[in-house]
Amino acid sequence: MRVEFQDVRHVYAPGTPFEVEALRGVSLAVEPDEVLGIVGGTGSGKSTLVQHLNLLLEPTGGRVLVDGVDARTLRRSELRRRVGLVFQFPEAALFAPTVEEDVAFAPRRLGMDEDEVRQRVRQTLELLGAGHLEQRSPFALSGGEKRRVAIAGVLAMAPEVLVLDEPAAGLDPATREDLLGVVRALGDGGTSVVLVSHDLDEVAEVADRVCVLEEGRVRAVGTPEEVFYAHPEASQAPTSVRVVAPLKEEYPEIGSPVRFEETLAALKGLLEGRR
Amino acid sequence: MTAGRTLGQFYPVGSPLHELDARAKILATGILAVGLFLVDSATGFLLIAAAIVSLVVASRVPPGIFLDSLKPVALIVALTLLFQVFFSREGATLLEWGFLQVHEGGLFRGLFLASRILLLVSTAALLTATTAPVELADGIEDLLSPLERLRFPAHELAMMITIALRFIPTLYEEAQKITRAQAARGADFAEGGPIRRARAMLPVLVPLTIGAFRRADELAEAMESRGYRGGEGRTRYRELRFRARDALALAIAALVVVGGILL
Repeated sequence: MRVEFQDVRHVYAPGTPFEVEALRGVSLAVEPDEVLGIVGGTGSGKSTLVQHLNLLLEPTGGRVLVDGVDARTLRRSELRRRVGLVFQFPEAALFAPTVEEDVAFAPRRLGMDEDEVRQRVRQTLELLGAGHLEQRSPFALSGGEKRRVAIAGVLAMAPEVLVLDEPAAGLDPATREDLLGVVRALGDGGTSVVLVSHDLDEVAEVADRVCVLEEGRVRAVGTPEEVFYAHPEASQAPTSVRVVAPLKEEYPEIGSPVRFEETLAALKGLLEGRR
Repeated sequence: MTAGRTLGQFYPVGSPLHELDARAKILATGILAVGLFLVDSATGFLLIAAAIVSLVVASRVPPGIFLDSLKPVALIVALTLLFQVFFSREGATLLEWGFLQVHEGGLFRGLFLASRILLLVSTAALLTATTAPVELADGIEDLLSPLERLRFPAHELAMMITIALRFIPTLYEEAQKITRAQAARGADFAEGGPIRRARAMLPVLVPLTIGAFRRADELAEAMESRGYRGGEGRTRYRELRFRARDALALAIAALVVVGGILL
């Protein structure tokens, strides 16, 4: 499925002294099967933006199109199944006595039959490396385990677009790696993923395209190479790009690697070529 | 951001009422509230009502804030009014419509009771709108401190009130976040009858409660790590000072009430 934003604007608490213009005309598309990274500083409108993908927030201006149809004309429940939204610190919303029941909440709400629900739950937990936790209480898990379970709770709906808002915030490195692996696998397996993060290294590893938000506007959008090499400064590029960019002038053959492995290979190639 | 407004929030504008000592304001609020219920003549009631209305004006708090604080009691007020108007059969009949009769006495009593509740709530809102939560808690602590000899935990009570007030907006925000997260998982809070709707709230209430306990734990730890050991020997950054004008304010409140009762 393709979600397109046409000049989307959002104003919080319009007409009051608390009025805040969070989105000031965003035009952007989430293409089928891509991993789209959304980066930007605090208050750039990232979280507001993603809540428009399933109309938890409605635009105060502009339109959201789902496969060319105005999202406002679609059924909300259907839209929320097709666009799975995982908020920041999703473990705060765990509530059931067991992990299994918690993950089963969304599929049950969609009216699937019990066999299918069980199968979904098992598959999803397995995918997130949390299969062994099924019968545990979600409140007795470690932080990383809770996060896996909470994400499974949304992924169990088998959404066509999965939106992750800062999924790795505060996680241990191992869980973070696993999670990014899952994002990559989902993107390759036909699910679009929207990854919101202010960790540029994280986005660099998995994104097919990157969108940079600034004060509620799209400042740049394109492949990670295009976006990151255009501004290789410390605050606007991942570590790999900051290492390679200064070398590029003297050694243009190094190319424009972004991912860690690519960067390593490029640097090795450069060293071997000089030997 | 408008959370907690309806629960009577501090409205920091400069006014003579804001300047008053919290203890004086708490006591005066109590006196006026008692007065509202002791007075039964119309003229006496009008005197107290006029005093409260002029206090509201003097507070420089926009009237909208008071209207907001009246919203939660609107239903009770409406019911009181309707019951009195339709079910009391005192005095001359003013209106007759099928089995419904409106009598003079009933109408009078209904309006009287309704305005009593409205004035009572406005007085309470006046106190919270003109007094910062910390001052309010300090004032309560001071007023209750004589009871400490009877082992009444005045300081602890005041601390609890401060913390509770402080966390209303936080919990409200948390509830909204969880509601949105569950909505993204297909939860529907607007569907079905009251029992189904109450049950639909479970996925919000459970994590909210757990979160509140977690917060309480964290707060306790943070307080202890900064050396909090309860009220004993604890000094204050802002001392409350009871001045002549505070005594004057109390005296006026008492005079109004006594006058109201005598009239």
